[in-house]
Amino acid sequence: MGGSATAVAAAACGVPEKELLVQAPLEMPEDLVTGLDNWYATIDRQNRNGIGIVVRVMEGRAKKIEGNVDYPVNVGKHNAIADAGVQSLYHPDRISAPLVRTGERGEGNWEEISWTDAVSRIASRLEGVSGEELVLVTSPIGGHMGSVVNSFTDAFGSTHLQYEPLERTVLQASIKNVFGQDVMPDFDIENAAYVLSFGADFLNGWVSPVRFGRGYGDFRHAEGRERGTFTHIESRLSMTAANADDWIYVKPGYEGVLALSMAKVIIDEGLGDDAAVASLTQNGTNDLSQFDPSNVSAVSGVPAQRIREIAHEFATKRPAVAIGGGSAAAHTNGLFNLNAVHSLNYLVGNVNKKGGVIFNPMPPIGLPVGSRSSSFQQMSTLSDRMANREVKALFVREADPFYGMPSSSEVRKASFGVDLIVSFSGQFDDTTAMADIVLPEHNYLEDWGTDVPDPGPGYQVVGFQQPVVRPFFENRGGHLGTKNFGDVLITLGEILSNPLSLPGDDVKTFKDVVEQGARSLYGLNRGSVKSDDFRSFWQGVLQRGGWWDTGARYDGPSPTPPALPVSPQEPISGSGEFALVPFESAGLSDGRTSDLPWLQALPDPISTAVWHTWVEINNKKAEEMDIREGDVVEVTSPRGSIKALAYPHPGISPDAVAVPIGGGHLGGGRYSKERGSNVFSILEPLTDDKTGALAWGATRVSLRKTGDWVRLSKFENTKPDISEDTHRKIIPLTNG
Amino acid sequence: MADAKWGMVIDVDKCTGCQACVVACQSENNVPINTEDIFNQRRAIEWIRVERYWEGEFPDVKARFIPVLCQHCDDAPCEPVCPVFATYHNNEGMNVQIYNRCIGTRFCANNCPYHVRYFNFWEPEWPDTLTHQLNPDVTVRSRGIMEKCTFCVQRIRRTSREADRDGREIEDGARELSPACVNSCPTSALVWGDFNNKNSKVSNLAEKEMSHNGSHHGRGYKMMENLGTSPNVIYLKKIDKHAKETVAHE
Amino acid sequence: MIPGDFQIRKPSRIQVLILGILGIGGLVGAVVGLVLGAFVITAWLGLPLDVFGLNEGPEQPIAFPHTTHVKSLGMDCTFCHRNVTVGAAASVPAVGLCMTCHKTIGDGNEEISKLRDYHSSGLPINWVRVHRVPDHVNFIHEPHIRHFGEKYGGPAGTCQLCHGDVGRMVKVKQVRSLKMGDCVDCHKANDAPTDCTTCHY
Repeated sequence: MGGSATAVAAAACGVPEKELLVQAPLEMPEDLVTGLDNWYATIDRQNRNGIGIVVRVMEGRAKKIEGNVDYPVNVGKHNAIADAGVQSLYHPDRISAPLVRTGERGEGNWEEISWTDAVSRIASRLEGVSGEELVLVTSPIGGHMGSVVNSFTDAFGSTHLQYEPLERTVLQASIKNVFGQDVMPDFDIENAAYVLSFGADFLNGWVSPVRFGRGYGDFRHAEGRERGTFTHIESRLSMTAANADDWIYVKPGYEGVLALSMAKVIIDEGLGDDAAVASLTQNGTNDLSQFDPSNVSAVSGVPAQRIREIAHEFATKRPAVAIGGGSAAAHTNGLFNLNAVHSLNYLVGNVNKKGGVIFNPMPPIGLPVGSRSSSFQQMSTLSDRMANREVKALFVREADPFYGMPSSSEVRKASFGVDLIVSFSGQFDDTTAMADIVLPEHNYLEDWGTDVPDPGPGYQVVGFQQPVVRPFFENRGGHLGTKNFGDVLITLGEILSNPLSLPGDDVKTFKDVVEQGARSLYGLNRGSVKSDDFRSFWQGVLQRGGWWDTGARYDGPSPTPPALPVSPQEPISGSGEFALVPFESAGLSDGRTSDLPWLQALPDPISTAVWHTWVEINNKKAEEMDIREGDVVEVTSPRGSIKALAYPHPGISPDAVAVPIGGGHLGGGRYSKERGSNVFSILEPLTDDKTGALAWGATRVSLRKTGDWVRLSKFENTKPDISEDTHRKIIPLTNG
Repeated sequence: MADAKWGMVIDVDKCTGCQACVVACQSENNVPINTEDIFNQRRAIEWIRVERYWEGEFPDVKARFIPVLCQHCDDAPCEPVCPVFATYHNNEGMNVQIYNRCIGTRFCANNCPYHVRYFNFWEPEWPDTLTHQLNPDVTVRSRGIMEKCTFCVQRIRRTSREADRDGREIEDGARELSPACVNSCPTSALVWGDFNNKNSKVSNLAEKEMSHNGSHHGRGYKMMENLGTSPNVIYLKKIDKHAKETVAHE
Repeated sequence: MIPGDFQIRKPSRIQVLILGILGIGGLVGAVVGLVLGAFVITAWLGLPLDVFGLNEGPEQPIAFPHTTHVKSLGMDCTFCHRNVTVGAAASVPAVGLCMTCHKTIGDGNEEISKLRDYHSSGLPINWVRVHRVPDHVNFIHEPHIRHFGEKYGGPAGTCQLCHGDVGRMVKVKQVRSLKMGDCVDCHKANDAPTDCTTCHY
């Protein structure tokens, strides 16, 4: 009877064999104490605007992400997307080694090769490729990775496009036009008494939701202030709209004239700041008469009386702030809309004041900010160039243009005109599926980096990203596994004897670049971390998750209010019965986080739907059309059609339908592959005429019942007894 | 920590419905992944969930959100019906669920008016790599076990133990002690603490918002208080300037 | 003979044989069942019967002698199990720690050459676990060591309370049942909390 007593016991109780194995590690790191946790500060890369996070690490594994209390952008808060970051680290379908395509492009046949082999294959195929023929497409990147990419493009003379599907081009152009700012200002919701928002879903996905959400909490209730008032103007009842005191429905694309009408009311009633009024109206020469509420009411669908009321409230409850963005910017007249909205801020004198629009200083030590997106027009040009065989090599990092570009731009087809496509993704997203060589990048929790938040909190901030765990695929050996993107660019430069200009002679790796950056910050001798020697400065920065200087604020000139844009532009849109409103659901962002099961299973705030692509339609309209929840509906635009499950509800206008973004990936791992439909694919390639941004809110569609029915997975009615709150027993109300 | 009486104050007027608390909870507490099938069977597990209620028709329509979690009732209806004492009230004012005692009768879930008890109809499954994320401080519940919000008791245990070891005091509202949902909430709509500590944030809020004298009308209410459950979660009413005053229990 | 009177019919030889076999078989079965039951129950308690070497500790990949290290050399438990005073697990030492001495000490010893092989190959040693509590029990060493340490003069004296005199064990084995009753008895005797959520959460 060789079996030991414990084994008998184990067999009797059904203990899995592997539980009996206690592994003694070979070398134990000094600070590793089993059963104790360490919290490491780093930067979240799941959200579009990086927030400071702390990661709980036990026995070398990341367990939980929470907000970093020290970090000025989010002050300890985070959101669902940031929290789910651990699932991206341990995603079962992560790519664990460099891959080379073996079959036809897009067939999905791959072979593992070593890093040296992969890099040398790329190097040999880049020989003879001129700078213009090499294109780098990344998500918007700032900080030191931004500077390394810049030195790569400088060294090779290549083009660099920063792609994201819901681009911020229009917003940035408007900020530049109206406020003369190169970086995003911070909207100080926290200290505002009145917030007037046009289309900006700022509590859910727009620009910096965690920061705005934190401000919103204090805006509602905080010690020593009255409850703020919030009016939201949008064509769909978004999560942000649902939280407003008043949600005003506006016809898509008419936000700009509505804002100008409010401006007219404020000016006529003499409620605006005199100097600003003079400047905005060019001393009265700018004729606003066509924006009389009675005229605007007819086109925008907002009653004239409401326009006057809101204008009045906005001008009298100060400090007030007007925010424009999101769906208001997603039309062919997007820039006009945003310029009109943001100009309202001058009328109430809140520009660069507490409770208003607070300008941000330029980042220190010449770092690039992380949100310069390229316009759709530039991406379309790239697609054309690819089709014309003018692009020989395409590098793609973190961006997924083959998913986000409307199908009319035919970027997938155009990719066959490119000789070499290299993807740096750690996941088989739609773009990576069409690549020739995949060089998987570290997950952000395994990687170094810096981040310049955009918008910042009103002063200079540099967030530091450090590896909180060792690379997960480290056990595959040095020749396989994942690597840092910057290091690969540096190596490529060396091999092709086109070295990147790095800050300092002994700077060899991307980590050195980051450390060198910290050295420059140390040299400034100001800010949150001060010390006598660099080592303790470096440790202080990593410990607190970054460096910031509350004294380094915007000190440029106060901008002169530019003339109001008085020649209105009608939004152009296609034909179809319904205006199509694509929107970001709570978890899936612009489609980049669709691969994470927690976020797929996260109920959408409005519909509570999960795991699907649904189409929101007005409940009365649906009744008319005999559409019930779960009916499979074909949503057809002139550019194609998708199928989605109907979800009728009262929070949408009868002449619009809304479809969430994030479904219909062709790849991206088991949780997102071929799940739902991709609303981007049916968008018309209309652009904002000034900036070339995609007018993703301008498409019109028609609906057709297919006759099929599928149960719409949703959280609503999971607990059937409390499905309605007709007597307000669950959520009682008070009026003050 | 035996003298504590843990409780929560939720400001419905601050809750934006963003669902940050939902993922924070699932991540901390090893809640199984709710697949599409599980949702369709209406067996999805969310220890804290955000409910959404419609009111009105377009264009005068409102969607209102409220986070609902175990109310940790002082007179909990779930407790007396458990045949094996798997759920009971402990001396910290918490309604606790002991997994190894639970035999899965589901009487407790049936008796809970808030529907915050969740039954594991299936064995929880994760792909191998995702198990690295599981919190070692929290038991993975197997099939046939009832589970629910624990106020992240593992954090209370760990933090008080480590504070004892290092001889330090734990401040009210310390993040290491607070449940995951409270730490995540971007608007700070959730506040958690000890009702027995008269200086704690929750005590102050309860005192201020549950009282009515003169012109002062606190916003505090307890959900479905008329059932006599005496919850340890206080909600603060949503403010709607168009609304006529309504009361929690009619 | 009175009609209807009870008569004993003599069983046939074959019947006697069958009944006899069944009876004896049943007896044997009952005894075997009892013995097996005793084995299973005691094994479940973690304290198997002291027969056939059943109560011996398991064979380990390296026959590590606690006797040499603890009894002869007088090393403290916490020298290797260093987490015991801070965290949940006492922790098995890293191979690197063994090598601080065994780089030079123990040439020619078969077990030590195994250890050196592990170290040079970079593979962890898959020790066989002896003491194990189920997943739904959160046992933390640290507060126990802290509480008893004062009474018994440091951690080393405390370990014995549950683990027995490991210093005298050639193969480490479990000496206490470590079932819940065992825990609760001790908690009651020492005025420690007995709320379920002390350990179960």
